[in-house]
Amino acid sequence: MKTRLHFEDADGFYEQLLDAHQGLSHEESDLLNARLILILANQVGDARLLKECIEAAAKFPPAASGG
Amino acid sequence: MADRYVETAYTNGYEFTEGSGYQLPEYPFVEPPEIRTGQPGREDIVIVGGGITGLTLACALARLGVRAVLLDEDNTVGVKGASSRGIVYTQKSLEIFQRLGVYGRIADKGVQWSVGRTFAGQDEVYSFDMRSQAGFNLSSQPPFINIQQFYIEGFLVERILELGQVEIRWCNRVTGYREDDAGALLSVSTPAGDYQLRAAHVIDASGSRTPFREWVGASVTARKGDDRWCIADVRFTQRPPVERHTWIEAPFNENRAVWQHLMADEVWRIDYQMAPDADPAHVSREDVVRERLARQFGEDCGVEIVWVGPYAYRSECIDQMRHGRLFFIGDSAKVVSPFGARGGNTGIADADNLAWKLAAVLRGRAGPALLDSFHAERHEAAQENVRVTNRTARFLRAPEGIERLFRSAAISLAKQHLFARQLVNTGRMAVANTYTRSPICAQGGGQSVQNVSFQFADGSTGTVNDLLLWTSGELLLLVFGDIPAASRQRLRALCDSAPVRAVQVVSEGHPQAVEHVRDPQGHLQGACHVFGHAWALVRPDAYVASTGESIDAALVHAVAAAMGMSLSEGATA
Repeated sequence: MKTRLHFEDADGFYEQLLDAHQGLSHEESDLLNARLILILANQVGDARLLKECIEAAAKFPPAASGG
Repeated sequence: MADRYVETAYTNGYEFTEGSGYQLPEYPFVEPPEIRTGQPGREDIVIVGGGITGLTLACALARLGVRAVLLDEDNTVGVKGASSRGIVYTQKSLEIFQRLGVYGRIADKGVQWSVGRTFAGQDEVYSFDMRSQAGFNLSSQPPFINIQQFYIEGFLVERILELGQVEIRWCNRVTGYREDDAGALLSVSTPAGDYQLRAAHVIDASGSRTPFREWVGASVTARKGDDRWCIADVRFTQRPPVERHTWIEAPFNENRAVWQHLMADEVWRIDYQMAPDADPAHVSREDVVRERLARQFGEDCGVEIVWVGPYAYRSECIDQMRHGRLFFIGDSAKVVSPFGARGGNTGIADADNLAWKLAAVLRGRAGPALLDSFHAERHEAAQENVRVTNRTARFLRAPEGIERLFRSAAISLAKQHLFARQLVNTGRMAVANTYTRSPICAQGGGQSVQNVSFQFADGSTGTVNDLLLWTSGELLLLVFGDIPAASRQRLRALCDSAPVRAVQVVSEGHPQAVEHVRDPQGHLQGACHVFGHAWALVRPDAYVASTGESIDAALVHAVAAAMGMSLSEGATA
């Protein structure tokens, strides 16, 4: 799993993500996120990599990031 | 003591039937000789339970010429009344039934299908046609046949009677089991009294409510959910459906799942998902069933109800499929939800796996360790089938909250994008499980061989099953390509000394071996999962034991391993 910067345009992506949620209800936002996860997961494809990504997200926050 | 035998209850959720329903055959009870003599009988093999798994094992043993006794507590097949149960039989099962000699009757009576459509709401999510999938079209058997389970059971009973060897004892209920130094001892209760049977090997095929697990203290890994379903097997007097349809969210069933399948006698199985923890007595009441059918097919659809069966499912997997002299097969060993037809079909595979091993050991052609491989192979399959069916159940009974959210996301994506169809899990159809950790499979082994065709030396068409019938319980060695003279000698020596029969397979040109076949399109080679100059050692259950390139010590070791014997290095040097 990549943990170094891989985005071509991190700020641009972040803005786009927030814009996509603009004006949506809580339920609509949840559904958008779920669809996005499934679409992105298919871009990754690799089973081991996906497992690492899920584990990295589930273990958050790591103990060291308390402050 | 005759009052100890109690007639089996009308169980399995049978509620009512109308019209002609089904007429199940009834078989006569014959007083076992042990009751007259008062002495325990002695058998090499006793099978307990005459369901599809026990009867498949009995028929497979009979075909191999092995004597056995099968005890069934009832006097009929299926469940008394108007029974249905399993309906979808996969290619691997049909190939097994072809070897047993009942496939023709199944094909005549059953319904072949290959197109399935899945819906959510009014929209089709995806459809498939199995005929266009390369993996299925080379076998002599179709991808699937739908037929009521009791028909297959009835065909097997008649075939067993025809073959001889296996004695089926109806109305014989096992009431106790123990094992001592002299072997296994079964206590049996019949309408004419009780008796005992000693057996070298006992196979428990009595099903999901088996008493044997408790008798031997077998541990089980289990999971139970709150998903509830109700089957209506119906005939339409007008406007029957046309295809196999699956709804994940059916508008006419409060947005819960519905299955619609055709089987023999133009009976459709309509299987409705009910509310979690629904009351089975209520959901199977005739007026409630009729109202449900009317919502789906219209008030004037004209249905005759053949059978109604409410059910809950659970998943259970026994931790050891062999306990001393006792073997667990079919539902006795593992119970799964019905999704993907992984119950009956894997029970049939359990039986086919065990049959040739028992036969080889009893005939002295194999080492006793061969019987241990049954657990290694079929427990791996059982665990896989439990895992796969649990995943489907989790999709179909997605609880409100995050699991339902992801399901909604997957369904909405699947309507637009090909990739997301793979996430929509309405059941993964049963396959011939691969054995990855079998002690009797060597390099390249563990995969199933499809029943493909080739040409015999005289130009007539043959199939893998023809070759397996010819080997009659011994191993089949297929050698692809030319065989040099030195290798021919080694082959002859191997076949003279071990339970193996060799056949040369050529695509064109002149074969060197007397026993040879032609495989111009490479289907046989493909079915054995090898390429170029190679050999494949095929077991009587149409699984590859091992593959290799040259006729050498590795082959000799593979033959020994496949028969549960280990050779010391010195023996083959």
